[in-house]
Amino acid sequence: MNERKVALLILTAALLVPALPGGLAAQLVSKLEAGQYTVSDGVLPFTAFRLAPNFTFDRPHARISASGSLLLTEQNLQIADGIVSGTFTSPTVYGVRAEMIGNASRAVDDRSLGSDQVDVQTRVHLLFKQHGGMWLGGGVARPWRIAVVSSADVVDAGLWGKVGESPDGFGTATFTTTFTNFSFSKVVSVTDASSASVSCDASIAGAAAPPNMTGLPALFARSASTGACERQSRFGDLEGSMRWEVGPLELAAQTGYRFGDAYDVAPDSRRWSSAMATVWLNERVAIIGGGGRQPELPLRGLPARNFGMAGLEIAYTPVSKSAVPVSMPHAVLVKDFDLRPGTGGMQKIVIHVGGVETVDVMGDFSDWAPLTLVRRGRDLWELNVPLSSGMHQINVRVDGGPWMAPPGLPTTSDSYNGFVGMIVVP
Amino acid sequence: MSRTSRRDGVLGVGVPHPHRRLASISLLGAAALFLSSALPAAAQDTDPLGKLDARSRYQVELTIDSAESLGLPTRPLLLKAMEGIAKHAANQDIVSKVKQKLALLKTARAALVPVDENELDAATAVLDAGAKPEQLSEFRVRQKGRSDLSAFSVWADFIKRGVPKDEAFSAINRLWRDGADDGTFQSLWKNVQADILQGLNPGTALQNRIREGPVRVPAGPGKPPEGPQ
Repeated sequence: MNERKVALLILTAALLVPALPGGLAAQLVSKLEAGQYTVSDGVLPFTAFRLAPNFTFDRPHARISASGSLLLTEQNLQIADGIVSGTFTSPTVYGVRAEMIGNASRAVDDRSLGSDQVDVQTRVHLLFKQHGGMWLGGGVARPWRIAVVSSADVVDAGLWGKVGESPDGFGTATFTTTFTNFSFSKVVSVTDASSASVSCDASIAGAAAPPNMTGLPALFARSASTGACERQSRFGDLEGSMRWEVGPLELAAQTGYRFGDAYDVAPDSRRWSSAMATVWLNERVAIIGGGGRQPELPLRGLPARNFGMAGLEIAYTPVSKSAVPVSMPHAVLVKDFDLRPGTGGMQKIVIHVGGVETVDVMGDFSDWAPLTLVRRGRDLWELNVPLSSGMHQINVRVDGGPWMAPPGLPTTSDSYNGFVGMIVVP
Repeated sequence: MSRTSRRDGVLGVGVPHPHRRLASISLLGAAALFLSSALPAAAQDTDPLGKLDARSRYQVELTIDSAESLGLPTRPLLLKAMEGIAKHAANQDIVSKVKQKLALLKTARAALVPVDENELDAATAVLDAGAKPEQLSEFRVRQKGRSDLSAFSVWADFIKRGVPKDEAFSAINRLWRDGADDGTFQSLWKNVQADILQGLNPGTALQNRIREGPVRVPAGPGKPPEGPQ
């Protein structure tokens, strides 16, 4: 199957899946973007339509997602990039949670320049409810089709905080700072244009070394195992990002600095910054625009580039506006929900959910104010609430996450892109 | 008397040290400042619509006034606004949903009259899910003391789960006319939900369970058979 057929197949699937029953469609967000993409080096200068379907399968402690994009350029339809990702998270114990992330991805600059990569990473998070946290992680990335780079060791640490709760007024702002260190071997050819074997120094002088570094000894050494000229390279990216949501407006900006010697960091990749603005016209349609500079991605073989973009974003399902940089389990964690007669004319809400720090409920009975349940056992949470005879609507959340309808109750739409459970008290 | 004992008084508390007095005054001042700043906040917390902007608040209050003048219950409208505020919905969204709720209340009352506030509110969930007003009016006739709340909640849920609207109405209406109680509706819901979760088409799941006749709760761990005495 050639690339065009694959592209058409994915396009058809992405357009058909939203028509499937609600259970599956809820796990899909597709975006159709149309815009002008320009790059300073002229590699990708065209008007393009970009279709980016995103499938997500959520379980309480696992998430598998696949996304990709197709570019319809002036010339033809092509696969631009894609990623399949799996995340497994442990239960949260005293605010600490472990996470394992695996990705297989493809990045394309144009049809002649692209790379594939598989990476695995583990992280340990320290969470402060939904308002902040920090993590420390490490892993390995294995690039393919990049002849000059071996597998890389990646170590990263991050800190994030969220300010504001409501999209009205000040809105919500999330600030994230990360430091990522890459350590890998750079490999240069040991043959010249006529396929004759040359020394490492000659190879460097002829191909890889920047002008101010040529002739310096000990940059590359011949590997005993492969016979190639290798150099142990490393650089670190310090990046700060901000995402601000106020009303229908979303602003995202990031800036970064790359540490490393001149041989490992290209001059045009020392500093970078970019910004993107999104204005939601309604739940499904937004105007997007932005631009900036992206640094070189040596592990992917992608050069630094300037970009500018403006376009329209269309989503089949309302797009979640959560800006929390730590992926939280969105699927229902609550195993069991029960309502029992309590004391003093009250009703006792009993919930079984393990591996979480807090459980809240709210509903018409609390004037939609959150009430925190009391932990009675390893996974048992209870609360007496004043539920009069009649029908009541109720939501539950764990660890300050999204409000959900409790299991075991008939549910209905809450009109605010969510669902509520319906309890009938005799 | 030592300097220390004079400073502390007979019981050690009588004569305040000048620094302590200053500290006490500062503490009182801070408490007063805290109270003065906390009072308006507390007042705002008791105002259920306090977090809406002035324009949206006015529109919500206008909608609630309209409901009152029409003799409709106002609390469901206020709760809809409070729910939106709690879920951080945009102001304009909240106004829109409150107005939509008023329209549903009007339709539900026209279909069900006479009806109490709780049933009226439950009926709006069914209409919101997509049921027709004329289907709702089939529930107008009911025996004294019989509540249609369970029927409505299960009906709304079935539509949300993808049961064809007419089939959902037909099944719920049939049970209702047959005198089904709350337990029957809840059992039907549990069975159909379990079938849907196992992959059965929602419409087929409901039809199968209705065809079964009397709906029973799925069997739990029962009493073990008694052996010979």
